[in-house]
Amino acid sequence: MTADVALQSISQSFGTFRALDNIDLSFGAGEFVVLLGPSGCGKSTLLFILGGFLSPSRGTVKIGGRDMDGVAPRNRPTTTMFQDYALFPHMTLRDNVGFGLRMKGMGRAARNAKADDMLDLVGLCDKAGRKPHELSGGQRQRVALARALAVDPDVLLLDEPLGALDLKLRRQMQDELKTIQRKVGTTFVHVTHDQEEAMAIADRIVVMNHGKVEDFGVPEDIYLRPKTLFTANFMGDINRIPAELVSAQARVVHGVRPENVGLKGDIALGPARLESAAFFGTYHRCHFRSADDRSTPYVAHLALGDLPAVDAIVPLFASHVVALRETA
Amino acid sequence: MRALGYIYLVAIFAFIFLPVIVLVLFSFQAGRLPVPPFDGPSLKWYAEVLNDRGLMEALRNSLFVALVSSSIALMLGFLAAQGLARVRLPGSVVMRGLLIAPMTVSYLIIALGLLSLFNGLGFRPSLWATGIGHVVINLPLCFAILFAAMGDHQKNAERAARDLGASELQVVALVTAPMLKPALLAAFFLSITFSWDEFIIAFLLTRFDVTLPVEIWSMLRSGLSPATNAIGSLVFLVSIVILIILELTVFRKSKS
Repeated sequence: MTADVALQSISQSFGTFRALDNIDLSFGAGEFVVLLGPSGCGKSTLLFILGGFLSPSRGTVKIGGRDMDGVAPRNRPTTTMFQDYALFPHMTLRDNVGFGLRMKGMGRAARNAKADDMLDLVGLCDKAGRKPHELSGGQRQRVALARALAVDPDVLLLDEPLGALDLKLRRQMQDELKTIQRKVGTTFVHVTHDQEEAMAIADRIVVMNHGKVEDFGVPEDIYLRPKTLFTANFMGDINRIPAELVSAQARVVHGVRPENVGLKGDIALGPARLESAAFFGTYHRCHFRSADDRSTPYVAHLALGDLPAVDAIVPLFASHVVALRETA
Repeated sequence: MRALGYIYLVAIFAFIFLPVIVLVLFSFQAGRLPVPPFDGPSLKWYAEVLNDRGLMEALRNSLFVALVSSSIALMLGFLAAQGLARVRLPGSVVMRGLLIAPMTVSYLIIALGLLSLFNGLGFRPSLWATGIGHVVINLPLCFAILFAAMGDHQKNAERAARDLGASELQVVALVTAPMLKPALLAAFFLSITFSWDEFIIAFLLTRFDVTLPVEIWSMLRSGLSPATNAIGSLVFLVSIVILIILELTVFRKSKS
């Protein structure tokens, strides 16, 4: 099952601290949305409001068009996959996954069959009789996913589920999450602070900072055409271009990604001295400084074979320059 | 040096266990006095003790008081711990302190306080009064053990259960209690042993029906006899059995 989600002017305060400030968002049914931002930006708070663990100070949450005000977590069409998995240590994997169905009053045979199907979906059907402490971190994570999906939620909420895994396993789990989401069609709302993870799995990314939405869109737009300086910086390196070189507007800065700075391009940045360079396998990461009196620093990713000698002065160009607002 | 170590080891165990060994040994005495020389073995004092209606009555009373007071102390301690661990209240720290405070008060003072309180209320000394006294001494123990065993890990599992549709009652029955099982068993069996051994509260708060320690005390007033050794050995045996149950059920599991 699946449903769309609408958040209307959600605000949340903890004492004098404003964790969320007037958030308006809507997600389509079956969408994989990632809430991305640094720690303390309010992304987890927003997820907890969706799950019903917190009620917002102001605003409305609608899931499938239904107002969720005053609806407890157990009665919401959402389930949450928690950061520490929160598996029940005294139950077998089958009983863990079948727990939600048991709460719905499903008989033992039926729920065991469903639990085994879900464990099969995450590739753990041969371990149904084991207890959680016998599993590795990645396996526990899969059990938590199976348990949350077993009750056929309309919306699955994932609170930094991959945070505890090592990098390689993390990349592998990202692919699996995406595949499983395609298969079940449930709306996924996933919280992370890892921008690579966000780009790898999201249909759309919500970038958050200081309780506000900085940007919302498909990964390509967020990376290539960020709306704000914060988003541009958070998604990767960005070079600021002096206003004189481009048509200047008030309260706007122009930026360019390192891979769009090179020895040819649309906008001339003027001569620059190569200060240092490092080899990154598929490109050279170079630190330039402009040879004029502004001595603006630039980071450029130059293709293999394009590397000038250190201290050489070469003309630099930029393409795909984006205009960025200072704030949201 | 090594020999000295062994001598020390033997000496310390002798110091701890010699009184118990002497007690058990002379419970098998054939003569009328539990003093050397040993002239047994004989089971006649065990036969006498087991046929003594007063003693057996007291033993049943002790078991009854221990089971009922420990169950109540466990339940109240669990509810208090669950409440204070889950909900942030003004004065939580003070409440926690007040709950644990009776552990630091001597049993004699608690007994005297209860005695004068019950007198004022017109509540006669009885097994029930003793049971209440034992709840007073065991509740702080149960609370402290259970509160220490509750962590974030547990809190998160409870939240997950609620998210999956469990009611509060189901959360406690299917998640909280099973996860706390080792701590619950430890608290329960410790409470039983403390209640089972307790003398001063039982002495002051019982009158006609008495618990075993009070009965043994009144036997001792008429002088030493191998019969007191025999009942003492039986009490010791019960404590050992509880300890073994505890070791097998609680501590072994909590290791894995």
